[in-house]
Amino acid sequence: MYCPRRILHPTEPASLPPRLPGRAESDFIIETDRLGKTYGTQRALADVTVRVPPGTIGLLGPNGAGKSTFIKCLLNLETPTAGTARVLGRDTRVQQRASREKVGYSPERDCHIAGMAGCEYVTYCGQLSGMPMRLARQRTHEILDLVGMGQERYRPVDAYSTGMRQRVKLAQALVHDPQVVFLDEPTNGLDPSGREHILTLIGSLWRDLGISVVMCSHLLRDIERVCDRVIIIGHGRLLEHDTIANLKNRHRRVVEIAPAAERERFVTVLESTGVKVTALSNGKLRVESASDSIEWILQLMRAHRLPPAEIVANPDALHELFIKSISESHGSQPNA
Amino acid sequence: MEASRTLDLSRWREEPHGVGYRRRVIATAGLRQLWRTRFFRVLLALAWTAGAMIAVGGFVFSQSIASGGWLETLAVRFGPRAEAIVAAIGGVVTLYPDICVRGVFTLLFWAHSFLGLWLSLLALTTLVPGLITRDRASNALIVYLSRPLTSADYLIGKFGTIVGVLLLVWTGPLLLGWILSMLFATDRDFVVYSSGPLLRALSFNGIALVTLSAIALGVSALGRNARLTVVIWICLWAVFGVMATNPRAPTWITRMSFAHDLGEVRQEVFRLDDVLATASAQLPVFDQRFTSNLATAGKKAEATDFGGALAALGVFVVGSSFVFLRRLRAE
Repeated sequence: MYCPRRILHPTEPASLPPRLPGRAESDFIIETDRLGKTYGTQRALADVTVRVPPGTIGLLGPNGAGKSTFIKCLLNLETPTAGTARVLGRDTRVQQRASREKVGYSPERDCHIAGMAGCEYVTYCGQLSGMPMRLARQRTHEILDLVGMGQERYRPVDAYSTGMRQRVKLAQALVHDPQVVFLDEPTNGLDPSGREHILTLIGSLWRDLGISVVMCSHLLRDIERVCDRVIIIGHGRLLEHDTIANLKNRHRRVVEIAPAAERERFVTVLESTGVKVTALSNGKLRVESASDSIEWILQLMRAHRLPPAEIVANPDALHELFIKSISESHGSQPNA
Repeated sequence: MEASRTLDLSRWREEPHGVGYRRRVIATAGLRQLWRTRFFRVLLALAWTAGAMIAVGGFVFSQSIASGGWLETLAVRFGPRAEAIVAAIGGVVTLYPDICVRGVFTLLFWAHSFLGLWLSLLALTTLVPGLITRDRASNALIVYLSRPLTSADYLIGKFGTIVGVLLLVWTGPLLLGWILSMLFATDRDFVVYSSGPLLRALSFNGIALVTLSAIALGVSALGRNARLTVVIWICLWAVFGVMATNPRAPTWITRMSFAHDLGEVRQEVFRLDDVLATASAQLPVFDQRFTSNLATAGKKAEATDFGGALAALGVFVVGSSFVFLRRLRAE
């Protein structure tokens, strides 16, 4: 059954991801058990055991940490040397084709079929996933509209700019309406407006369509903005896996305040409560807070009639947590 | 988290088509890309013209025994000598349909196999870079292998493209020519005695198909540069082919030319020597000199190194399979 275009009006609540009838419901989109991969004597992944629920998941790690190897093992592009992996409840080794039926993948490196126009390429990818030609073509145009491609879709992919190739890669990953999509550095090479557009789109995939996203990126701000859960991999090992909210709570609580005026009075008032205040060179104030809430700051501002200010709780929590996890893992670096 | 935004998108909830469909998609996409080149369209025109020529040849031959037929009517116009020749030919064909029909169609299909093989090799020269080389160069293997497809499915799809090319350039015209000539045949003997040569032609076609597919896939998987791939293909085909024609060339050089090896297999499969020897021995109408010429031609048409050529083709297939199976990994 092919469902015609679903139009959500801006007033329509879009908080709950839609559940599609006929789709396999699984508690976890990814389940790995002691997953390992070695290249000769080099261990790329070691004992990765994780169960990831549906949602928008950020995959973090420094260069060479094993993020791409992890994704490739899940897609069976690399054969794991140890352990098992299940995607959407299907074992990637036993049910090779079936495990990838409802999965989309946008790799980091360019991948296109030479000589094909953008729309032809995306249609072809849809057909490779088993879509009938007519429907693949229809969804291709919808997806290309969605990723912000205009008439360029009729030009050969070989002639595309980096940004266009990034968009068409995302389109081919989404054309067959997957349940989970793996995006490896999806914003690489995009200009600021293009990046904004694609991040907004990625953020909407789970919320509006129920498509889980596993996004691999070096840009922590992008991950923090789009994802609700994070997996951190370092030296081939799983270092962290939790929701961003929980991770932030485990981190020391820091609030950044950017006062519109009267910065010195802000400092005096805050210090009078006994908290540590640091004045940053960019004009902001960094406050070490005792609680998760910023309500006490708002009350303080009201009581002392302070001017308005921009308040951001835990602004670099993910960054600091990432650095901390990686430096802690140095001691337990796996060797073959 | 991201601010709210809505997506305007249709959903696809159908069961996806099976793996057979996906393999067919790969095969037809390759053919579609090839169809876009003018060179391939010219090759197709030549191939189907050759098929039509088989039909015309078969038709003219079958008219030789048709009383009051087109050939007899035409002969009357050229005088009593032409009329007598046509009548004699008709008589021989009527008396010895097995030898004549088998012989003529073996000759027709044998000649067509040269053209078919040559056109197929030319078409493959255009196709070879598009099989695996370009996919490796543009990292497209990952597009296939991250979908519900295995490397075997990918190879089968690409093999399907080669089969499609050979069907369009060689087998299709051959079958069309035979079917058309049989439609206008005046006697059932034509169908009966021409089916043997047809089967032989199809057998050779099948052997060439397997060999050429493996070699083309192997060559295509060798490099990431389309030009280099074409150069390797032309070296294997044309350069070694020319070297193999040198009578002083050592056996191992001649066997390194798959074109030469296929030529040997052709002679063994069609057994033109046998056909000519039978004709020279049994048909009573030829003079001694013509009979001797036929016997000599038969000897020349004999395969001299069939076993070696077959073994060499086997090595080509195994070697090529090793190459493309090793190289077929997402990078």
